[in-house]
Amino acid sequence: MYGLIDCNAFYCSCQRAFEPSLKHKPVVVLSNNDGCAIARTREAKDLGIKMGDAWHLVKNTPKLVDVAWYSSNYALYADMSRRVYEVLLDHVPRVEAYSIDEMFLDLGGLHGNMEHRCEQIRASVEQITKIPTCVGWGPTKAIAKLANYIAKDRPELEGLCDLSDQALRHRYYRNLPVGEVWGIGRRLVPRLEAAGIRTIQQFVDADEALVRKLMMITGVRLQAELRGESCMALSEIVEQRKGMTCSRSFGQPVTDYDDMRTAITTFTSRAAEKLRAEELDTAHIVVFIQTNPHKRQDGWYAPQVSITCEPTNDTFALVAHAIRLLKVMWKDGYRYAKAGVSFNDLAPTNRQNTLFATGGERTRQATKAMDAVNQRFGKGTMSLLSAGLQNKWKPRQSMLSQRYTTNINEIMEARTF
Amino acid sequence: MARQYAGDRTTGFASPAADSIEGSIDLSEILSLRKPSRYPVRVQGLSFVSRGVLSGDILIADTAGNPVSGSLVIACAGGQIILAELQNRNGKWFLVSGDDATQPLRVDPMRDVEIWGNITGLVRTEV
Repeated sequence: MYGLIDCNAFYCSCQRAFEPSLKHKPVVVLSNNDGCAIARTREAKDLGIKMGDAWHLVKNTPKLVDVAWYSSNYALYADMSRRVYEVLLDHVPRVEAYSIDEMFLDLGGLHGNMEHRCEQIRASVEQITKIPTCVGWGPTKAIAKLANYIAKDRPELEGLCDLSDQALRHRYYRNLPVGEVWGIGRRLVPRLEAAGIRTIQQFVDADEALVRKLMMITGVRLQAELRGESCMALSEIVEQRKGMTCSRSFGQPVTDYDDMRTAITTFTSRAAEKLRAEELDTAHIVVFIQTNPHKRQDGWYAPQVSITCEPTNDTFALVAHAIRLLKVMWKDGYRYAKAGVSFNDLAPTNRQNTLFATGGERTRQATKAMDAVNQRFGKGTMSLLSAGLQNKWKPRQSMLSQRYTTNINEIMEARTF
Repeated sequence: MARQYAGDRTTGFASPAADSIEGSIDLSEILSLRKPSRYPVRVQGLSFVSRGVLSGDILIADTAGNPVSGSLVIACAGGQIILAELQNRNGKWFLVSGDDATQPLRVDPMRDVEIWGNITGLVRTEV
């Protein structure tokens, strides 16, 4: 038996956890650069705020004056996600963190009434992390995912949905559109509909050859999963990454080469830090810059260049490569809105290769020291001077809340009663 | 970067303590800060001086477990976060002020008076 627990409006709930005055208020959390709404509480949804709404366009609407809105505070959300995960591990033997706010549960070995156990898990997560959740469960991961959707969608179920019973499952299958199935996205729906598959039941009953033609092996496995045959195991280990990217939209357009160079240096340093944290080397670097796609009248230029190099995770070597790539494609006269650095061709750090590498022991010691300082005193405490000291391109985060759980200077305050 | 020296790897005479290195004391372990239920909270105000809590102290709140009469708690009341003493009076829970300057508040989630976490420890970084 598998369960899927999903945190309701996770980012908003994290803000509410530390600000009780938000309890009954509509709350919205915005994407990087304070661009669009990416999390909304029930109250905010009821005001008509949609996922992806551009906040600067809607925020002055009279009916939205009471909405509490926040820049995304990923340091806080990551730590709260860790807490949810650890609470779950106190209740079930295995947990798969599927996304920052959704976790699959191995409910296999649990005794007693499943509904009661899931209710307990939910209550425990809410008491300890202050995050409300919904839980769905069934014999396979795809069914658990669907059960979770139903639990969220139907308030009368009070956050719990049990799809372990086949007859009940089929009643839902007949009434739900195929697009609600895990992994069947918006682009696939029209193609399935064209083939006469509109409901989940029609998908489950469809000819295997047809499903294979439309969705390859994934579709066939989904079909089996929805029939109750488990083909997807719980994965506790994240597969090794194939690539690593660090990119940002700028808070204001970048027109100056030096500003862009500091941005590229920062992105490269950050991605290199992630490489080292995962003990990986890269052998292929991509740098891209682009102007605003919504303002093509100002000129559109979006080049990307790449280079193959000796496997390394050394910040100094990688920054040198990245800046060389930037120089190749840089053109004055454009208003750049976004840039980024990607590392591909990743492999575990292999001492042998460093025999031929440039940097050598000295830079390795220097990067190690830099990582230690940044881990201890916070991200970006120590960086290359070429990453700049004050950056015009820094993303807008005008309503960033405190990092209540990860920075001692920003913890919650309590007045004595 | 200089290698860490912990009393073990000496250059002349071999350290007799080399097999007994224990490292320095880790307060986050002692305070169980890795537990998902532990949160640090900063105190503002002096009404719990009698309980040894000063303004600026860092309290460790634990959101797991059950309420205990007489203990200090972090609570939410009317949208505010407060430090109060929890008391059970005839089966009902009350938040009691540290200096009796304010009337006790009945714990009632329907009226937005809720217990947030129990205090389990205190850190004072400057004495």
